[in-house]
Amino acid sequence: MMLRSVFAAAAGLLMSAAAVAETFTFTAIPDADESRLNARFGKVADYLSEQLGVDVKYIPVKSYPAAITAFRNDQVQLAWFGGLSGVQARALVEGSEAIAQGYEDQFFKTYIIANTSTEIEASDELPEDIKGKTFTFGSKGSTSGRLMPEFFIREAFNASPDELFSRVGFSGDHSRTISQVQSGVYQVGAVNYSVWDTEVEEGKIDTDKVKVIWTTPTYPDYQWTIRGDVDARYGEGFKEKVRTALLDMKDEDLLASFPRKSFVPASNDDYAPIERTGKAIGLLD
Amino acid sequence: MPGQAMFQLTGASFGHDDQLVLHDISLEIRDGEKVALVGPSGAGKSTLLSLLWKQQPDAVALCPQESGLVDLLSTYQNIYMGGLSRFSTLYNLINLIRPWAARREEVARVARTLGIEEKLWNSPDQLSGGQRQRVALGRALYRNKSVFMGDEPVSSLDPEQGEQLLIHVLQQHTTAIVAIHSPELAAKHFDRIIALKDGRIFGDWQAAELDLSTLETVYQDA
Amino acid sequence: MGGKSVSLAKGEKSKGEKPKGKKSTGARFRDLSLWFVLVAIVSLFFADIFLYQPDPWEEFTRIGWGMVTPFWPDANELLMSALYTVSFALLGVAVSAALGVLLAIWFHWRVVRVFSAVIRSVHEIFWGLLFMQVFGLSALTGLLAIIIPFAGIFAKVFSDVFHQQSSATVDTLAGSSRLSRFFYGWIPQAWPAMRSYIRYRFECALRSSAILGFIGLPTLGFHLETAFRQGDYSEAAAVFWVFLLLIGTVRFWFYKKLLPAYLLGAVFMLPEMPPVNASFVWQFFTQDLWPSPLLNGDLPGAMSWYGNVLADEVGPALIQTIAITQAALVLSGVMALAWYPFASRWLVGRYYWVGRFKLLVLRSVPELMLAYLFMLLFGPSALPAIFALALHNGGLIAFLLANHSQDASSQQRLDSPSGLARYFYQDLPQRYPAFLALLFYRWEVIMRESAMMGVLGIATLGFYVDSAFEEIRFDKAFFLILVAAALNVIVDSLSRRLRRAAGLKTPRM
Repeated sequence: MMLRSVFAAAAGLLMSAAAVAETFTFTAIPDADESRLNARFGKVADYLSEQLGVDVKYIPVKSYPAAITAFRNDQVQLAWFGGLSGVQARALVEGSEAIAQGYEDQFFKTYIIANTSTEIEASDELPEDIKGKTFTFGSKGSTSGRLMPEFFIREAFNASPDELFSRVGFSGDHSRTISQVQSGVYQVGAVNYSVWDTEVEEGKIDTDKVKVIWTTPTYPDYQWTIRGDVDARYGEGFKEKVRTALLDMKDEDLLASFPRKSFVPASNDDYAPIERTGKAIGLLD
Repeated sequence: MPGQAMFQLTGASFGHDDQLVLHDISLEIRDGEKVALVGPSGAGKSTLLSLLWKQQPDAVALCPQESGLVDLLSTYQNIYMGGLSRFSTLYNLINLIRPWAARREEVARVARTLGIEEKLWNSPDQLSGGQRQRVALGRALYRNKSVFMGDEPVSSLDPEQGEQLLIHVLQQHTTAIVAIHSPELAAKHFDRIIALKDGRIFGDWQAAELDLSTLETVYQDA
Repeated sequence: MGGKSVSLAKGEKSKGEKPKGKKSTGARFRDLSLWFVLVAIVSLFFADIFLYQPDPWEEFTRIGWGMVTPFWPDANELLMSALYTVSFALLGVAVSAALGVLLAIWFHWRVVRVFSAVIRSVHEIFWGLLFMQVFGLSALTGLLAIIIPFAGIFAKVFSDVFHQQSSATVDTLAGSSRLSRFFYGWIPQAWPAMRSYIRYRFECALRSSAILGFIGLPTLGFHLETAFRQGDYSEAAAVFWVFLLLIGTVRFWFYKKLLPAYLLGAVFMLPEMPPVNASFVWQFFTQDLWPSPLLNGDLPGAMSWYGNVLADEVGPALIQTIAITQAALVLSGVMALAWYPFASRWLVGRYYWVGRFKLLVLRSVPELMLAYLFMLLFGPSALPAIFALALHNGGLIAFLLANHSQDASSQQRLDSPSGLARYFYQDLPQRYPAFLALLFYRWEVIMRESAMMGVLGIATLGFYVDSAFEEIRFDKAFFLILVAAALNVIVDSLSRRLRRAAGLKTPRM
C-alpha cells in the first residue's frame, strides 16, 4: 500500500508539469462539514470532467482567504465562494465573473442562535436581551456568519458588536459556531441557516441546549465564480459550458455537498448589496 | 579501648570484571578506632570508604571528596543539610524559607569552630576552596554521629590549619576512618593505619608500632 | 571578621576571596525570579481573563471517549499525510541546519545576528500564511515556512555551541581563513552537540510540519484540525496517536546511515507544485505588502495609515500578547519545577517513566490544540492560551531538567538526603541555574506562540494578523507581522542581557 502511494506520488510529480496546462481546477470555501472533502467534491470534479471534456481536479483549502488566494494565484479557475469572499475574489482578479448561485442563495438568511441557559426567547425583532452576552460569529470572512449578521446587529442597536457584547469571538466556521453555542463557550452566535437546518435534520444538534432566536432578512450569498481568461485557455465558450454544467447538475448526491436544491444563473451585479454592506462595516475598502 | 566490630569486610572485591578497583579486601574496624587510610592516589581509598559507608549509612558522618555543596543555598543551609534526617520534612522545608532560631544557633556554633561563622549567609560559590572545605566539614559535624568518614577532608587547607581541624573532628567522633595523604598526620593522630596500594591492602599497623620509613614504602614504586 | 577566624583565614592555600558582588548567587536568582513573578501577577490584570462557566463536560466526555476509540476510515490517506509531515520536517531541518551553520559562522557580524533574530521571530504559521499568498498550498510554502525560522534558530544555537567549545583546537589553525577554521576546527569539535540539537529540532520540525496543516498544507494537522473542528474525536484521536507515535519512535526509524535515502524519498514525497506566476510574486512583494498611500508617495497618508493600525490594533494586541507571555512564562516555570522530579529516576525511583511519558505527550501536543481544549473548559479568554503555553513549555523544560537531574545523579554524594528534602535542598538548587537559563531561552518562543494564539480568537497580535489575511489586507497583515517580529527581537535581546547579567550559561538542550 505504502509503496503504491509512493509510486503514485512520484508519478504525479513527474506528470504534473505536463498535465497542469489542461487541468481545470476548482475549490470550495470550507464553511461547514470539512470531513471527507476530497471524497465529496471528488464526485463533483468527476461530473464536471464528464460534462466539460477536460481534466477537472478539486483541491481542498482550510480557510476563506486560502480559497481567495488560490483563485487569485490561478491555482484554481473556478471556486464556490460565499457572498463576501466572492466579491473579494472578483476584485482581485480582473474579468472574473459570478456565473451561478444556489437556488437558496437568492434569498439566503442567517439565524441568531442562543444557548438555552440564557433564557432568551425567539422573536420577530432582534431580542434586546442579547446585549451584554458573549457572542460568536463564524469565520471572519463569512457572509452569513459575519458580514450580514454584523450589519443587521449594527442596524438594530446602532452599536458595534464590540460595544454590544461582553465578548466577541470568531469560531471559524458554522458547525463550530453551533457546537460552541451549544456547549456554552459562547452564549449567542450567528449561523448560516442552511448549515443549521441540515444539522438539525441530521440530528447533530441538541435543541434542548441551543435554539434559534431570530432570523435575518434575506440577502444573496454563495455563488460559483470563474476566472475571466478561461475561454482563452480552455477554448471558446468554455465559460458557458461550465455554467450550463452547473445549472444542469441534478444529481441530489452531488448537490448535497453544497448543500443546495439546484443552481440558478447569477451575475456580478447580484452581489452589489453585499459589496455595499462590506464597505459599510469596513470589511472592504 | 576499641569495642565491638562496626565495619567488616571479608574478601571483598569491587569494580568491573576486568577492572577491579579493590581486590580481596578483608578488614575489621571496631568501635572507638581512629583509622587512617593511606596510599598513593588511585589506590582505591575512596572506593573502600564508600564500601564501608554502605554498611552503616545511618551511623556515619560522611565528608567525601566531591563535597556536594549546593551553591545556591547559604553556608548555613549547606551545614544544616547534615541534620536533615533529624527533623521532619515539613520542619526542613520551613527552615529553607525561614531558618529556625534554635538551628541557627547550633549551626553558627559549628561554623564558629571552623572559622567561617561570618560566612554563614554567603553561598559557597562566594567562598575560597579552603572555606568550602570547612563548610563540607561543617555538614559532617552537624550530622552528630559517632563515626566520621572523610576522604581527604583537609586537603585544601594549609598544613597548620588542616591539622587543627583534623584534631577537632577526631575529638568530636568516637570512631573515625579518614583517607589522608600525609603519612605524618596519619601517624601522629590516628591509632591505626591501613595502607592501600593498587587496590590491595599493603599494610595494616597500629600507629604506635609503626615507623614512618615503613609507611613511606607505600608511596614507592614496586 | 572575628578574632579566631582572622588567624584561620590567613593560612589558606587559595589566597583571597573570589571578587563577587555582595549578593549571593542564590539571592540574585531568587530576586530575579520574584521580579518575574511580580510582573506576571501584574500582567494578569491586563490580560483578557474571563472565567466563564460553559458546559464542557459533554464535550469532554466525547473527547475522552474519542481518545480511547481512535478510528480512521482511510488508512492510505492518513499514511500519506504522515509521510508528508515527515518529508517537510526532514527537508526543512536539513536545509535550515545547513543555512544555520553558515549564519553561525558569521554570527559575530551584527547584521547576521539581527537577520537571524528577525527571521526566527516570525512564527511558522505566519510564514506559512505569507508564502501561501505567493506559492499557494504548495510544497514550497511548507518548506519555506519551516526553513526560514529554523535557520534563524539554528544560527543562534550553533553560535552558542561554538562559543562553549575550548579554543585549543582552533588556535592551532590560526592564520587560516574563517571558513577553514570553522570547517576544520569549530564544527568537528562541536559536532556532537550540534548533532544532538539537530535531532531535537527534528522533533520540533515534525510538530511545526504537522501544525502547518492547520492552515491547509496536507500534513497531519490538516486532518487533525478538521476532525477536531467537526467534533469527530475518534478521528482526531487517530491522527493524534499517529502523530505521537511518529515523534515517540523517531529513534527507532531514523537511521543516520539512511539519511541520504530518507532525504531523497522526502523530495519525492512532496506534494506537487502548482504553477507560480512570476509577475504575481513580484506584485505581491512590491505592492500588496505595502499600504497604498505609501506606494503613491503620499507620506502623510501613509503616516496616518500606520497611525491608525498602531492605535486600533497594535496597541491593544501588544498589551494582550505581552501579558499572556509573561503570565505563561512564569506558569511554565512553575509547572516545569513541579513536574521534572517525577520524570527523574534519581528523585522518584523506578516509576519515573510515568512522568517521562506525561512530559513527552505534553511537549508533543501542539499548543494550539491544547488551547482549543482549554477553551472548552474555561471559555474564550486569555486563560486557555496561558494554560496551553504553560503546559507545553513547562513540559518541555521539565523534560530537559529531568535529564539533567539524572545525568548528575552519578556525581551526587552517597549520603544525599531522600524524599522532598533531596528535591528542595539538593536537586532543585542545583538545577535552578539551568532552569532559569532554559526559561529565558523559551521566553522568545513563548512570545512568538502567544502572538500566534490569536488565530484562535484571543486578541493577541495573531488575531489581527489573521483578520487582516481574512480581509485580504496583506499590507496590514505584513505590518502586524513586522511588529510581532520586532517584539520578539526585543525580548530576545532582553533575555540575552538578563542571562548575561545573572551569569547564566547557555543551557544544555
